[in-house]
Amino acid sequence: LHELGIAQNIVESAMDEAAKAGARRVVSIEIDVGELMQLEIPVLENALAALMVDPRLRGAQVTVRSVPAKFSCNRCGSEWGMDEARQQLGLVAENLRVQEPDSVELPLHFLPSLFPVFLKCPSCGTADTKALDGESIVVRRMVME
Amino acid sequence: VTGPLDFDALASRKKLESIGNVVLVGSGKGGVGKTLVTCGLALSLARRGLRTAIFDMDVHGASVPSYLGVKPPVRSSADGLEPKRKEGVAVMSLALFTGENPIPVRGQSKQGLLTQLFSLTNWGELDYLVVDLPPGTGDELLASLSLFGHKSRMILVTTPSKDALGVVARLGRLARAEKLSVAGAVINMAYVRGRSGKTFPFGRPDKTKISRALGAPIVAELPLDPDVSSKGISKVLASDTGISQGILSLSRLVMKGHDRRAGVPKRGNRRSR
Repeated sequence: LHELGIAQNIVESAMDEAAKAGARRVVSIEIDVGELMQLEIPVLENALAALMVDPRLRGAQVTVRSVPAKFSCNRCGSEWGMDEARQQLGLVAENLRVQEPDSVELPLHFLPSLFPVFLKCPSCGTADTKALDGESIVVRRMVME
Repeated sequence: VTGPLDFDALASRKKLESIGNVVLVGSGKGGVGKTLVTCGLALSLARRGLRTAIFDMDVHGASVPSYLGVKPPVRSSADGLEPKRKEGVAVMSLALFTGENPIPVRGQSKQGLLTQLFSLTNWGELDYLVVDLPPGTGDELLASLSLFGHKSRMILVTTPSKDALGVVARLGRLARAEKLSVAGAVINMAYVRGRSGKTFPFGRPDKTKISRALGAPIVAELPLDPDVSSKGISKVLASDTGISQGILSLSRLVMKGHDRRAGVPKRGNRRSR
């Protein structure tokens, strides 16, 4: 369900940008999806296809790319990826998971910047960490004419 | 166009179109009773039949959920994250996603988190959004000004303590510098009512002096009432207490001069208003 909301936001943002630029149509949109959010990319693509009905958006080429998550420790400098993170995310208490109508999702699915709450440095254990990549969803490039 | 499009900000602006009034409850100082005032005001407005919600913008010390007794998990629907409900008040807070865990995030992440949470929440149409601000004049306050600036008014909360007053006055100055209207101030812990009458733990408050220091009219003086902890704010509001009288004055001030539905278009009537 969250993928549908994100698709809606992307479409509205694209329309907004096109209007601001006085563009006749959008040729292509490139979207980076951070692995940490654990979004279903085919679902997002289908939702975008269904929502891009405005003449300025219809026919635009959409590219959605999954960006691997990469974290680093502000204390000891260690770096790690989603495999280590996944082990820790498996320990998130059931009552903190968001109840969707047909699934149960981690809070990071909606609020990825909350990751320091659930992910500690695998080397030194501190929560003082940062995401180097793959944390959020970004419209990386949009071509208009 | 290259670079990230800030669609959370765009989505937030759209959500705000369905909210009539935003009341920021702040003090700059911790432990003076912002959450008491936030929850009391919201419950009071809801009891008048007004569509009311609380947005807890305290990232590190969120306490609205425990104050009102609402708990995780959060549900989501096709319309977004569903706020918890307490006696007609919709409640959203980061603590509903983190429980008892601390939130060790740095400054830059906080504005993004709060904007995301506001934009993803299914607030529906609201007459009043009451915002519980954390202590300080940092990221969360600046995020609230970015999100709600043009539509919001501030209520300052202080105790009569000289130390608290100095800090709260700073927030008042910042609010005015940001062209935010400061509608009034609440003096909390103004007195304790005992068998022998009122006693004043911080000395008898000089309302004129406090009002002048804060640059805002004093709208209520609230007692330090142990029943708030033992019985809960809802029960205290339901009886005739110093707290309930003070919160009533505050809710009257907040509602005064405002079209209760201002900015909240009725369905199908958006353009005619």
